[in-house]
Amino acid sequence: MSDRARVRWLQALSVLGVLLAWEAVARLGWVDPLFVPAPSAVAGAFTRIGRGALAGLGDTLAKTAVAYLLSVTLGVGLGITIGSVRTLRDVLSPFVVVLYGMPKILVLPWIVLLLGFGTTPAVVYGTIHGLFPILVLVMGGVRDVDRNLISVARAFGASTWQLYWKVILPAIVPTVLAGMRLGIVFCLLGVLIVEMFAGVRGMGYVLGSLANGFQAPELFAATALVSVASIAIVLGLDALNDRLSHWRG
Amino acid sequence: MRVVALRAVILLAGLAGWELFARLSNPLLYVPPSAALPALERLLTLQSYPDLLASLLLTLREIAVAYVLAIGAGLAGGFALGLHRVVGRAFGPILAALYAVPAVVWYPSLMLFFGLGEASKIAFGFLLGFFPITLAVLAGIRQVNPHMLVVARAFGARPPVVFAKVMVPSMLFTLVGGLRTGLALTVIGVIVGEILGSRRGMGALINHAYGLFRTSDYVALVLVTLVLIVGSDALAGLVERRAQRWTA
Amino acid sequence: MSGRPPRVGDLITVEGVSKRYQSTSGPVDALHDVSLTVTAGEFCTLIGPSGCGKSTLLGMLGGLVAPDAGRVQVDGQVVTGPDPRRVATVFQDPGLFPWRTTLENIEFGLELQGVSREQRRARATELLGPLGLRDFAAKYPRELSGGMRQRVAIGRALAIDTPIVLMDEPFGALDEQTRLLMGEWLLDIWRRSGKTVVFVTHGLHEALALSTRVVVMTARPGRVKSVLDLPLPYPRAMDGLDMVERRAKLWSEIRDESLRAMGER
Repeated sequence: MSDRARVRWLQALSVLGVLLAWEAVARLGWVDPLFVPAPSAVAGAFTRIGRGALAGLGDTLAKTAVAYLLSVTLGVGLGITIGSVRTLRDVLSPFVVVLYGMPKILVLPWIVLLLGFGTTPAVVYGTIHGLFPILVLVMGGVRDVDRNLISVARAFGASTWQLYWKVILPAIVPTVLAGMRLGIVFCLLGVLIVEMFAGVRGMGYVLGSLANGFQAPELFAATALVSVASIAIVLGLDALNDRLSHWRG
Repeated sequence: MRVVALRAVILLAGLAGWELFARLSNPLLYVPPSAALPALERLLTLQSYPDLLASLLLTLREIAVAYVLAIGAGLAGGFALGLHRVVGRAFGPILAALYAVPAVVWYPSLMLFFGLGEASKIAFGFLLGFFPITLAVLAGIRQVNPHMLVVARAFGARPPVVFAKVMVPSMLFTLVGGLRTGLALTVIGVIVGEILGSRRGMGALINHAYGLFRTSDYVALVLVTLVLIVGSDALAGLVERRAQRWTA
Repeated sequence: MSGRPPRVGDLITVEGVSKRYQSTSGPVDALHDVSLTVTAGEFCTLIGPSGCGKSTLLGMLGGLVAPDAGRVQVDGQVVTGPDPRRVATVFQDPGLFPWRTTLENIEFGLELQGVSREQRRARATELLGPLGLRDFAAKYPRELSGGMRQRVAIGRALAIDTPIVLMDEPFGALDEQTRLLMGEWLLDIWRRSGKTVVFVTHGLHEALALSTRVVVMTARPGRVKSVLDLPLPYPRAMDGLDMVERRAKLWSEIRDESLRAMGER
């Protein structure tokens, strides 16, 4: 059997095996159905939560989209600015690193005190969450642009504007794409956290209430839903990334 | 030198600006630095929160347990996937897919299953820390120079010896980097877990201060928690630097 | 042509070995029906165009490559795997372990054989002198030059004190001057140790300056084309008439094969 086929078999068998074992364990009563629902119960729950969960997902994704737009714009913009001006970079780097390294969760309660419950804190926190990884990445990318390329451009008489437009920006495209790929996960994460902590709508809130209500099958179903959605988003971005980078070989 | 001076200026200007802004608008909401320091003092002398030490120890314990579990599972999983080609190709993509899911999505399920106590925080911390360690093992294995393995074989080393004397030292630096990241994420996982819902621990204290609008105490608690986080990472950094000795 | 039939005193016998590899463009015959003998104490060089299978053949002697047909015997026993008690190998890529110091790298083979720490250290330290690395005992590979690293690799091979040492283009990655000096140094080490060396190289100069016997291999699939005996004293006058003639002869043997090898590509 070829390696490829063997791999597929292993994947299929293990997924099937886990599901069957899980179903069996649940039916035999070895686990409390309140805490660990059978896969069949979870499957059934999909229809029950259907509309509510999808609405919640949509809400979350909308907030994420706004936060994402903001963090990418700010992250790339600031990243290029700070990264390309020597003085700014030298002076501000440690501040950026500290802010990047600081776990944002610690300021979340304060942000909620400031902005209340609901959409605004979610978008703000999501933006902050996604901003710093992108910023740090782009700063590094700009700093690492091959000095030779810049020397060549200057030798050919490029103005500062031309230098940015024709050398630096194209050179950092891979880094920006990497940052964007990273940013979406962080923004989504930030939004979900706020929804769980202080939300009235959205997937985080839905998951939280289902957990509080001990509705295990529904919770598992909703979790599966949001997992699939994020995997799809990330895979989609990867495919986009590949398409845009085909010239790099 | 000029750079350091500029940084100092920015820092001082920032603090002064904050002080002014907070005083003029709403000192309760925007805690000025002048209010934060006394709050810190109250906290450290156990006046504002007498059970600070117990909370700190609990959080540390949760982190320790979660991290040990993450190392165990991370190393086991990483080597199982990395050393067996078929197993790696089968479960690698599954792992990568799971990694694309924001971890907090699992937390409500963990809370349902484990309750509000330590266990759910440990489980969440474990979940967060396990991935970077596994990924580091995989990356480490991939970057081992295959020629080293040929040389070892040529000198008659059997597979377990090749593993211990060549593969492991060769990937040590990458591995330790992963362990450091794993610790950082485990710490964050435990703290996020506590803040999102717990009865005890540093996160619970933070929540308590937040709920009662005790903003300056909140700031003090955050500062103490920051010390915990930075301290653990600094320790990990020390270990990582020792491992750096061995890279080519 | 396979040389003469095996005799007592032959340390290595290669009997009709062949090797075929599967490549992306179909099967490739690296070696076809190669037979060869090496006597104890020789410095036997394998020379030939790129792709003639000399590295594969060396791999067979070292137990790292299994022949598809035929067999290799070392000291009367068929080779089935690496035998660090009889054969040590030096590769073109020194393959030093970057986390070990010079001494620790030299000790590697001894460590695997369970030699005690004190003995290992003593043996390795002993070798530092002849290796010219006395001041570099505690350095790491990244602090050494290419030539030094290769000397450490050779030291590692010498440390386990095997009767046979295989060398696969050990000086190939070095600049010419270093290569010449390393050749002189290697000659000195070999003559003092009395080991049997099987040496693979591209270089005519190296082959003629160092060897007691040169085996010329054909282009792929590799076979033994001819064997040149060099019963000359050391050190050799490379500019003497005698040597110039031998060099011309060797080159004419190799040239055709090189052209054939290039034509294939």
